[in-house]
Amino acid sequence: MSDILDIIKDRDPGEKEFHQAVKKVLESVQPVLERNPEYRQTAILERITEPERVIMFRVPWMDDQGQIHVNRGYKIGMNSAIGPYKGGLRFHPSVNLSIIKLLAFEQIFKNALTTLGMGGGSGGSDFEPKGKSDNEVMRFCQSFMAELFRHIGPNTDITGGDIGVGAREIGYLFGTYKKLSNEFTGVLTGKGLGWGGSFIRPEATGYGNVYFAAEMLDTQNDTLEGKTCLVSGAGNVAQFTVEKLIELGGKVVTLSDSSGYIYDEEGIDQGKLEFVKRLKNIRRGRIREYIDKYSEAVYTEVDPSLNYNPLWNHKAECAFPSATQNEINEKDAQNLINNGVTLVSEGANMPSTPEAIDIFLDSKLLYAPGKASNAGGVAVSGLEMAQNSMRLNWSREEVDNRFKMIMKSIHQSCLDAAAEYGVPGNYMVGANIAGFVKVVNAMLDQGLV
Amino acid sequence: MSDILQAIKNRNPGEKEFHHAVQEVIDSIQPVLDRNPEYRQAAILERITEPERVIMFRVPWVDDQGQAHLNRGYRVQMNSALGPYKGGLRFHPSVNLSIFKSLAFEQTFKNALTSLPLGGGKGGSDFQPRGKSDAEVMRFCQSFMSELFRYIGPDIDVPAGDVGVGAREIGYLFGQYKRLCKEFSGVLTGKGINWGGSLVRREATGYGVGYFLAELLSQHGQSIDGKTVAISGYGNVGTYVVEKINELGGKVVTIADEYGYVCDPDGIKGEKLQCMADLWCVYRKSAEDYATQFNCEWIQGRRPWEVPCDVAIPTAMENELDLNAAKTLVSNGCMAVVEAANMPCTHDAVQYFRENGILFAPGKAANAGGVAVSGLEMTQNSIRLSWTREEVDNRLKMIMGNIHRTCLEAAEMVGAPGNYVVGANVAGFMKVADAMLQQGLV
Repeated sequence: MSDILDIIKDRDPGEKEFHQAVKKVLESVQPVLERNPEYRQTAILERITEPERVIMFRVPWMDDQGQIHVNRGYKIGMNSAIGPYKGGLRFHPSVNLSIIKLLAFEQIFKNALTTLGMGGGSGGSDFEPKGKSDNEVMRFCQSFMAELFRHIGPNTDITGGDIGVGAREIGYLFGTYKKLSNEFTGVLTGKGLGWGGSFIRPEATGYGNVYFAAEMLDTQNDTLEGKTCLVSGAGNVAQFTVEKLIELGGKVVTLSDSSGYIYDEEGIDQGKLEFVKRLKNIRRGRIREYIDKYSEAVYTEVDPSLNYNPLWNHKAECAFPSATQNEINEKDAQNLINNGVTLVSEGANMPSTPEAIDIFLDSKLLYAPGKASNAGGVAVSGLEMAQNSMRLNWSREEVDNRFKMIMKSIHQSCLDAAAEYGVPGNYMVGANIAGFVKVVNAMLDQGLV
Repeated sequence: MSDILQAIKNRNPGEKEFHHAVQEVIDSIQPVLDRNPEYRQAAILERITEPERVIMFRVPWVDDQGQAHLNRGYRVQMNSALGPYKGGLRFHPSVNLSIFKSLAFEQTFKNALTSLPLGGGKGGSDFQPRGKSDAEVMRFCQSFMSELFRYIGPDIDVPAGDVGVGAREIGYLFGQYKRLCKEFSGVLTGKGINWGGSLVRREATGYGVGYFLAELLSQHGQSIDGKTVAISGYGNVGTYVVEKINELGGKVVTIADEYGYVCDPDGIKGEKLQCMADLWCVYRKSAEDYATQFNCEWIQGRRPWEVPCDVAIPTAMENELDLNAAKTLVSNGCMAVVEAANMPCTHDAVQYFRENGILFAPGKAANAGGVAVSGLEMTQNSIRLSWTREEVDNRLKMIMGNIHRTCLEAAEMVGAPGNYVVGANVAGFMKVADAMLQQGLV
């Protein structure tokens, strides 16, 4: 394994982000590599770490003052062993080849876990949409797609949004694709509901995380009914996490933003949730305004001098970190356990530090890593593709039911893989191994391509 | 202008070869930029230095022992303002993105000079064909083309050979392209003569150098007739330089390799030329064999530039002619230096030639005969007819004459009359830049 890391470093000096991601994945699948010496003969690791295809291209565009700018576009087709390339587009000045490769690499395994036929890819540009006019963003998107269109397609490569690419950008990109290729197909996901988008797309990550948690509890013949839950964040993921928890009988007592958090001992009901949605999505206000409306709640301002987050220090049974990276450290993990929490399911990307994860795994509580529990977003993108392909839109219920089944399958694959490799109940190992094995077996079956 | 270089360095950290190539071109075209403020408004420099498209891909293949290997394929499609992308494929372990970008960048301007409708591109792989069996090379080429085929085509991008890609590789690549695309078209150049190749392709660079030299001398009321010439190689390029110079009445008195050189004051003619032609291209033998066979002097460990001559033509490799050699040439009365290899003269050697009034022809102009005949191969493929040797040769001669005149006129225009280096850079750049202006923001 260290040889392969050396090979990658020699081949791409300077791509630190990508090297780090490869190292992490390879470490986590070490037991699989040891059991399967045939991977060496077929150069599986060399192949899985080398993009099948990288396309970089010139994107010239004119600003509102008539000045011409040049950005660089990227599209990586990382792995198509189990389906067409699928991944997000990111528009942000920090974008470079290393970052896009890292995103494409991780996407392979996450997509594999969803049970849907999706390969791994990623793309974007070093363009910054922030501060640009709608017209400038449109011209950029049109120029970007004027090159990208020849490399993508509904059976080749389907892209969704990511940082800097939301509903507006997807719209402009789709329009140009349609015009240049002369076809109306499901080449992008995250489309508007009126022109090929899917129900449950906005709700997907939050709902999916709760479904995953319910599945974990089910293995212990338990449910979310009556459980007190800590949720961090107040954005899209947190809002729909709360919504689904309420529906399944849970009692959510916290929400937060970057300034502080609220604790509502009586629980956040549907009415209070509607207030939060309006506060955050329309008025763009701060979560502290919650206590102006609901005086029974308590607001606590962020205290940078603390080495822990007090949000995680309340009596509860379940925790759903849905805010940001590294929001649960070692101390927080210990606080959660001391307060009786027996389930942690990640809605954000990598909210728990490696030390916190170790504590969770040692304590035998139910811990769901984000790559499994927040895979709902990409799963519903996959369902959007399915609906586009059959030229029919499913009802909200139909999407939701299929979606529930997918989260159930993800849960089961993690559980099975963990058991097969001798660490039953370890969803972390299970998630890493299940996705990897699925992709590698498909590569073996399809020969050297 | 320095902002542009800084922006390029920021965008492409670590790509030294590419930065260097861009810097060289930008330095030499400063007068053009000063005169044409519209280039700035249209962001011509930003666009011309950013490849229109870069494709990198995985190339897996199985060796004769059944072990799987992995290489990376590249194709840099730099600029299509003047025509489909055109440039060689290089298979060598040393390649990387930076090298391909710098080569594709330079190719853009060289192709522009030929007056043929050729854009600029370059590509290849870090695969080493040396030491591999024919079957391994074939499997590699097939895997490589299995991805490349979707990005190239006779009207899109037409690759050719370069280091590590010769007739054998072009054959395997062409076969796989034809199979996958189900079309027999001129998508590669350097093909076999029976399946779409052009006559005079092999001779093209050497003949072209001869024609360029003839133009250069006639500009100063001279001719090749009676001139003594020193060259430094004995491979394909050198052999055909000698043949053309003999034909035009000159006399070549040296050939060389990395170990030393042969001095043959009677000139390399007749059976001696035949021997030279076979020495490397057929038998892979040292140039010393020539000395033994024809009783000439073999000067071990030295370069041929110390032999008195009227014209020096470096035909071997990069940086083979340095400042000391330049001084010796000048003091021996040499009047012209023509680069047949790619950048064989060091920067200070070129400087010294200019200061001492020596006629100097840079490789990007003088050795463009190779790519010019590749362009003629494309033409013949497009019209589905093969020209005779004479017809190709006449066109090559005409093209070399055009290149010479274009360089001269461009040099004159920017106030550096007779400076072929400036002329070649300015002429190539302006042709591409003006086409980009006219075609709008793409």
